[in-house]
Amino acid sequence: MDRLLTIAIVGVAALVLTLAWAWMGRRRAAQGRRRLEDALKHLFELEYRGRQASLASLTGALGVRDRVALNLVARMQTQGLLIASASEFKLTSEGERLALQVIRAHRLLERYFADEARLPLPQVHAAAERGEHHLSPEAADRLSASLGHPAVDPHGDPIPTREGFVPPAAGTPATAWPLDRLARVIHLEDEPPISYAQLVAEGIVVGQTIRIIDSSPERLVLTDGENEFRLAPAVAANIFLDAAPDTPARVGAVRLAELATGQAAQVLGLDEQCRGYSRRRLMDLGFTEGATIRAALNTFAGDPRAYEIRGTLVALRRDQASQVLVLPLERAS
Amino acid sequence: MPRAEAAAVLRRAAELRATLDSQFRDETVKSIYAEAERIASRASHHVGTVRYDFDQRVDRIVTSPVFGLPLMALLLAVVFWLTVAGANVPSAMLATGFFWVEDQAATLFTNIGAPWWVTGFIWHGVFRGLAWVVSVMLPPMAIFFPLFTMLEDLGYLPRVAFNLDFLFKRAGAHGKQALTMAMGFGCNAAGIISTRVIDSPRERLVAILTNNFVPCNGRFPTLILLATIFVGPLVPSAFESLAAAGAVVGVVIIGVIFTLAVSWGLSRTVLKGEASAFTLELPPYRRPGILRILYTSLIDRTLFVLWRAALTAAPAGAVIWLLGNITVGDLSLARHIANSLNPLGHAIGLDGVILLAYIIAIPANEIVVPTLLMVYMGTGMMDEGSSLEQIRELLVNTHGWTLLTAVNLMLFSLLHNPCATTIITMYKETLSLKWTVVGTLLPLGLAFLVTFLVASIW
Repeated sequence: MDRLLTIAIVGVAALVLTLAWAWMGRRRAAQGRRRLEDALKHLFELEYRGRQASLASLTGALGVRDRVALNLVARMQTQGLLIASASEFKLTSEGERLALQVIRAHRLLERYFADEARLPLPQVHAAAERGEHHLSPEAADRLSASLGHPAVDPHGDPIPTREGFVPPAAGTPATAWPLDRLARVIHLEDEPPISYAQLVAEGIVVGQTIRIIDSSPERLVLTDGENEFRLAPAVAANIFLDAAPDTPARVGAVRLAELATGQAAQVLGLDEQCRGYSRRRLMDLGFTEGATIRAALNTFAGDPRAYEIRGTLVALRRDQASQVLVLPLERAS
Repeated sequence: MPRAEAAAVLRRAAELRATLDSQFRDETVKSIYAEAERIASRASHHVGTVRYDFDQRVDRIVTSPVFGLPLMALLLAVVFWLTVAGANVPSAMLATGFFWVEDQAATLFTNIGAPWWVTGFIWHGVFRGLAWVVSVMLPPMAIFFPLFTMLEDLGYLPRVAFNLDFLFKRAGAHGKQALTMAMGFGCNAAGIISTRVIDSPRERLVAILTNNFVPCNGRFPTLILLATIFVGPLVPSAFESLAAAGAVVGVVIIGVIFTLAVSWGLSRTVLKGEASAFTLELPPYRRPGILRILYTSLIDRTLFVLWRAALTAAPAGAVIWLLGNITVGDLSLARHIANSLNPLGHAIGLDGVILLAYIIAIPANEIVVPTLLMVYMGTGMMDEGSSLEQIRELLVNTHGWTLLTAVNLMLFSLLHNPCATTIITMYKETLSLKWTVVGTLLPLGLAFLVTFLVASIW
């Protein structure tokens, strides 16, 4: 009886250990693949921005020790993904293809999280970082189709096409942009997260038109016409600018949320920042250019308000109403 | 089409797509609207704006920053007052009628020589369970549902959501949660299904997990009955039904507060995130169709609930009769279970029988009060007379209920775990065992905590 019990206990223990070992092995394999993909992504992005990758930049980006990074480089070399010479790393075409797959998955996911799941922008990157390793190329194609084949991610980075085409890097860092020349923000670098979070908190968004009014080694002062942003150069270097298109400014345009209750206005359009589901919803409700709108009802807290548009009453929260640009009409007395 | 040609077309499409202006979707929608406007203006023309102006005037009062919220509470109070005041007499009449039938039938069975346990099982078990459910629940439901359906039909509910949105926004929840809560008044399972109108997954989960804090119509009879019996008599008799209605409104408001507090807590901890986009259409007011209201409220709601209650009440009645009549030692099985639950029950200001009733009533909340009364009464028969007065005497004199018991039972009824149907619905909608368990145990834990605190402070 005792022997039977011993055998049973040993058997169960052996089974548990085997399962645990198998599980750890799978985990380690998954982690290895994740690191490899992250490394490819890092190498590609540096190359894309015309910078030089090094072992130090790799350990920094992946947050691993030198030994691990060295192993990774060796692994990429044996798999034919990377050519490492004494001074530089260079991705092979196969390595580039894999890197673009991961980047495509990442940016499509960011687009999805920002527009459809409506995660707050600072969380979008981290969520995509987790999801990118689990999205097969076919699933990425389906996602791209369902999002309407977006061209850029929420930070302004181009999304590689299925064939692996990605337009060359564009934009000048704000630190290199001349003073007092109107510029459009085309890209906000989301690494490192801390400076990206600062940019988001300041209210700087892709598509915004800005001007640099003061520049010194300590700080850069930017303005969007209303607010001034004071940024450390290290942070401002993460803003990429391009010449502003010559769209005539809409004279007298205000945001719907600022319309006085009872006042009528004409809809000019939706803010560039309003994307995905929110944009579709507002368009479906008839918030299109030229429609007449009136701020009709106010509530206890002043938010939400109800607006009269196309013969119906629609309630919007302040954040939604801020995304609609309108031209106030003369008050008909 | 040959494969090569198809590939060429797709490639061409991809090329052209790259040249598209980012505004082309806006242009599409704009042109659709322009065309619709053109057709509409050709096909119809407006004569006056009387109706429209009327709508606006009503809206300005109903959603007014000053009167909006008080008006809402008042409307709710009126609905409950009409329910409480109107349901007393028909309830008593139905009870008297049913128990007369039970008496006659039991006597008849005894006379034709049926064994005592057949008589007991069928008439004092199954039939009594049914009779209780029908007489306690039918009259309040037949008044409450048509009134509520009327408010719904008028187009008032979206205004409620509009008025309350500022609270939900602060709780990190979706404004349409107010609508799903309104559905929850009818049935929590229906309320949970209706959360499909919320498209952000996070906010939808918040709405699903908190829907239970709106008392559904299976719990309203319990609340109304307790308010009528215990809260009503605290004030001069002229104001009895008013006080009872006030108590029910109070419970509903406590439920709303819990909904908001739990939503807030969830949005700050396990379901972190900001309030998302919210658009809500406020439809024009419509003249309610009386016949349709009567049909939907009486057939779809009242009879549906009653039927469900009856389906569970009949077997529950049988179970209770068995528990009450199988004796171990010198006590019935029901008493044994109740006694072992007593310490827990007393700690939260209730007693073992109430907890037993809640366990038996997991399939459907509707049968809590009937179960309770049947366990208390054992196999004894009801005498004739006003049923509400009798219930009160039974509870207060024989079983030592106090105002604390009533208050805590109302709170427990408001907060405790959802019924089996709701739990199953929660699983179907979330497809997650984890969230189903959270949605079941979170309210239950909260119910024990709150009633325990109230009992300690009392």
